[in-house]
Amino acid sequence: MTPRARLLIAAAAFTIVAVCMGDGNGLRFGRLIAYDQYEETGEMCVMPAAWQREALRAAFQESTAGSRRAVPANLPASSYKEYLRRIRDEYPTFASVAVDTVRDEVVLTDESTFKILVYSRMENTPAGVEASKPKRTITGDKTDIEFQSGVYVDPKTGEIWAANNDTRDRYVVFGAGADGNVAPIRTTETPHGTFGIVVDETHGEALFTVQHDSGLVTYRRSANGEESPIRMLQGDRTGLQDPHGIAFDSRDDVVFVANFGSTHGVSGSIKPRQGVGSADNKEGKTNWPLGREFAIPGSGTINEPSIIVHRRSASGNEPPIRVIKGARTQLNWPTGLSFDPQTRELFVANDAANSVLVFDAAASGDVAPKRVIKGPKTKLANPTGIFADVKNRELWITNFGGHSATVYDLAASGDVAPKRIIRNAPEGTPSLMIGNPGTLGYDTKRERILVPN
Amino acid sequence: MAHPQIAVFARLANGQAKRLAAIEGQKTLLGRTMHGMGYDAVRDEIVVPHQFGQGILVFRATANGEEPPVRVIGGSRTRLIAPDRVAVDDVNGEYYVPEGEEVLVFQRDADGNVAPSRILSGPNTGFVASRAIAVDTKRNLLIVVASGRRNDTEILIFDRKASGDTKPLRVITGLNASQNVTVEPERGLIFVVQLGENTGYIGVWSVADSGNVPPRHVIGGPNGTLFDPRGVVLDVKNQAVLVSDKQLNAVLTYQVPAVFNLSARP
Repeated sequence: MTPRARLLIAAAAFTIVAVCMGDGNGLRFGRLIAYDQYEETGEMCVMPAAWQREALRAAFQESTAGSRRAVPANLPASSYKEYLRRIRDEYPTFASVAVDTVRDEVVLTDESTFKILVYSRMENTPAGVEASKPKRTITGDKTDIEFQSGVYVDPKTGEIWAANNDTRDRYVVFGAGADGNVAPIRTTETPHGTFGIVVDETHGEALFTVQHDSGLVTYRRSANGEESPIRMLQGDRTGLQDPHGIAFDSRDDVVFVANFGSTHGVSGSIKPRQGVGSADNKEGKTNWPLGREFAIPGSGTINEPSIIVHRRSASGNEPPIRVIKGARTQLNWPTGLSFDPQTRELFVANDAANSVLVFDAAASGDVAPKRVIKGPKTKLANPTGIFADVKNRELWITNFGGHSATVYDLAASGDVAPKRIIRNAPEGTPSLMIGNPGTLGYDTKRERILVPN
Repeated sequence: MAHPQIAVFARLANGQAKRLAAIEGQKTLLGRTMHGMGYDAVRDEIVVPHQFGQGILVFRATANGEEPPVRVIGGSRTRLIAPDRVAVDDVNGEYYVPEGEEVLVFQRDADGNVAPSRILSGPNTGFVASRAIAVDTKRNLLIVVASGRRNDTEILIFDRKASGDTKPLRVITGLNASQNVTVEPERGLIFVVQLGENTGYIGVWSVADSGNVPPRHVIGGPNGTLFDPRGVVLDVKNQAVLVSDKQLNAVLTYQVPAVFNLSARP
């Protein structure tokens, strides 16, 4: 039975035979000794297109084959293994985007079903079609990808770089034309929670933001395996506060970093606390952010969002050159960033406001954006990824809440319709936006399931 | 994760279900890495930790959209380091926060920079890294899932009001690593997430168990429909166990009437 089939299972017949037995504490507990499996019914939900179902099935089978450990020896013989219902987004959820202007391709990461999807740059999903079919899909257990939030494409080589944001502390690089369940050509360990990525080809460096420890780490462009970063920026003066997207201005040799706003103090001089997690893979590493075990108790703050501007080569606890912050900025969970060197404009995917903000490169303080793309015609839905295609003068957005990527003129402003849309699901399909649900709650009063990311 | 949120789904939601509501946006103060949460049925509130900002956020249960929390615990007196999980005792009005070598207890009405009302910590507790926590309000027990002194995962059962360097009443040993736990007080059942590389499951023990004993029930695996379970919560009324799974990026509902019906009767 495939996972898809399991999704359609509902209880129709369920028989349990159980006995009660005493225990040494005077309590009586039931121990299940047999059960009949649920039968399938046809509860309806939106079905993925045939090619998506096939890809999902293949990826699922490949990702699980050979990876199951032996089960513990002391488990009871009886168990409940079949579920009654399963809430899951069966379609990709586009998180970040990059355009390969040489090969005329657009590359999108997917945080829902763990894929990198490559489409023709001019792809435009026609009305009435379930979804666009990608030219290539990188997915499966050999790919080492999971919850990828940032992506970069090297236009010279066609390499695709992607940062695993959660659960796998490494970034992966795939060769040009990679397709299917293929291994990366390079894999490099990172601190936990890398999000944004930018590569400075001139200086041969790759920079990654680090959410958990509010840091910025820089690697040699060709770094591989357990190689340490060559620089690290972290500390209370840096302005890094749950950093997300990053963009590079080569003329001024600066980087822009988007912050959600929360952070805490760290100190290498305090005794590391046991049992609170740590910046993984740090053993033997240099230029590694101080992790949670070095957090200063009670130092945490939840601040307003910001975009900070740092020298590319900033390190240690260096303060930013400029800060964009305040009510006029309209920042609301600013996530992806991209920079247009021709117009000297910074583009911001402004997730929680369903908008794109455009700032001048020199913007500072509590300043209003130069332009705002926002409104019902835009089809923006929780935009998280953004890419300024300078060659074709187009702006690409991933809609985390909309099962789509949308394309606009780079000079677009206001409530404008996209030039093209790549849909990965039928029009109107709900986007669940579930991402690594680490826990659950249950509202007993309203009988509702609470799912945090 | 690209988008923090607390998504709300109907109990019967299935498949590509639409969110009924979602707490999301800058004013919510939410951050990612919410690995524990609680529902306070008495106050009708949702309680979640904020790891990066070292806080505990409390929302109205009916909150939707960009709604701020009604209370925030945070600041230098709190001793919060990297709060990852929280248990809500809505009978006695307390929040329990495992923080490595310490379990911090806050009063439900705590707001702002307040000190914990109790701290459970010390060599006699038997734990060095508390990971997950739950409360049996019927028997007044505190259930701590933690790494013990031998670096193995244990369920340590304390008196609910235990404070300072107190020994556990009982210890259940031999568990796989875990990230979450919940308790069904009426029957005295402990539901523990058991991690495994694609062999995860929910193990069910009794609050009366002790030592290296097998779970009385297993749900979802191993080698079943769960892969990497992370969260577990109960819908007792409908005899269901709900589990979130990292690998599947999904929430699965298991209906397990035998587990709920064949109950502990002290």
